Amino acid sequence: MANKSASRDTAMAAGLMRCHDCGKLVRADNAPQDALLACPRCDASIHYRKFDAIPRSWALIITAAILLFPANLLPIMRVDFLGSQKYSTIMDGILYFFHSGEYGIGLIIFIASILVPLFKIIGMTLILLSIRFKWKTWLRHKAVMFRFIQFVGRWSMLDIFIIALMSSLVDFGTFTSTQAGPAATYLTAVVICSMFAAITFDSRLLWDA
Amino acid sequence: MIPSPAFTACPGCDLLLQKVEVPAGKKTYCPRCQTPLYQQKTNSVTKVLAITICGLLAYTPAIFAPLLTLDTMGMSQSGSIFDAFLNFYHHQYYFVAVMVFLTSIFFPLLKLSLLFSVALQIKLRIYTPTLPYLLRMAHHFDEWSMPEIYLIAILVTIIKISRQASIHYDLGFFCFLFLVLTTIASAAALDSRTFWRDIEKMKSLPLENLSHGQ
Repeated sequence: MANKSASRDTAMAAGLMRCHDCGKLVRADNAPQDALLACPRCDASIHYRKFDAIPRSWALIITAAILLFPANLLPIMRVDFLGSQKYSTIMDGILYFFHSGEYGIGLIIFIASILVPLFKIIGMTLILLSIRFKWKTWLRHKAVMFRFIQFVGRWSMLDIFIIALMSSLVDFGTFTSTQAGPAATYLTAVVICSMFAAITFDSRLLWDA
Repeated sequence: MIPSPAFTACPGCDLLLQKVEVPAGKKTYCPRCQTPLYQQKTNSVTKVLAITICGLLAYTPAIFAPLLTLDTMGMSQSGSIFDAFLNFYHHQYYFVAVMVFLTSIFFPLLKLSLLFSVALQIKLRIYTPTLPYLLRMAHHFDEWSMPEIYLIAILVTIIKISRQASIHYDLGFFCFLFLVLTTIASAAALDSRTFWRDIEKMKSLPLENLSHGQ
């Protein structure tokens, strides 16, 4: 292994692999870096580091960043009220809450649907860049940030669930009804891509650099 | 390949660490990257078994019974979680519909069923070759099961429509609340290290293997 001197105290340097699924430490001294090994306890494939973690995370994060534009610019909801149709984007919905004085709810939706996806994309880009250019400062903070990204990622589905409930509950025929808009598809795709970006990434690569 | 039981590696940064005895209720963290490493939980298997049984009992009414009834201008409307998914489907939002179905209906059930069957098999000492796969699947699908996010969405929806209509809480709402509680409780009671150690013990005992007809 090339970077033995940089991280002498890791399991990889000691010729040990930690199983991703069950956490078992497996000795694999003579196995080549890309050998296909299975965990003796849970039969998951084991490896020192996840395969192609960095290109896969890059691809998924860039996809999520592109999809973020239609998700925010297209209408996510259509409200029909006595024959008139009103389309609103994610931001319109948040502004509606602020105008009607429901600051708490507005803030929750703002954090879940706008801040969280942005934070994930910027944070993952920062982490991937710092591996690419071997920035060795703030490693612990980046590790904490990655765990935070893993934790908050799912919460962007909040807006989708709200629209699902609104459109099935507020449906009084021609009087008033609520329906989803095209941005719902893009927002869902952003959530899936950014969650998979965190799943495919291997935080141990931060410390290998 | 020789396993090394005296050591463990940090899942976050691969730092090689010596295993230490942790008193119940205390948590250990990686000294280098602060990733939580281990927290010993007492009676994990029994607790998970009990909690998942409760969750599975509440599951059907939570998903299919109406959550809320809205009354406005003489009209009333009610809907369940399953209706919310069907609504996306009927409006041709298939991709969103599939994702909503998986995260709010399918994965919560899958997670409870997997944890239930794993805990039951460990409790009764029945080792089947699929046991490790079931626990691995439970770990992998864990973050895709999002009932707690759905609960927050229900609360936001209630606040959003409480001005325009009067709301009655139905059976589904309380069952779903209970389902979310059991999901959170099962995650809190689950001690993966104990589960895997028990599975390993059961796997290595030849007598246990005889019990399923080898």
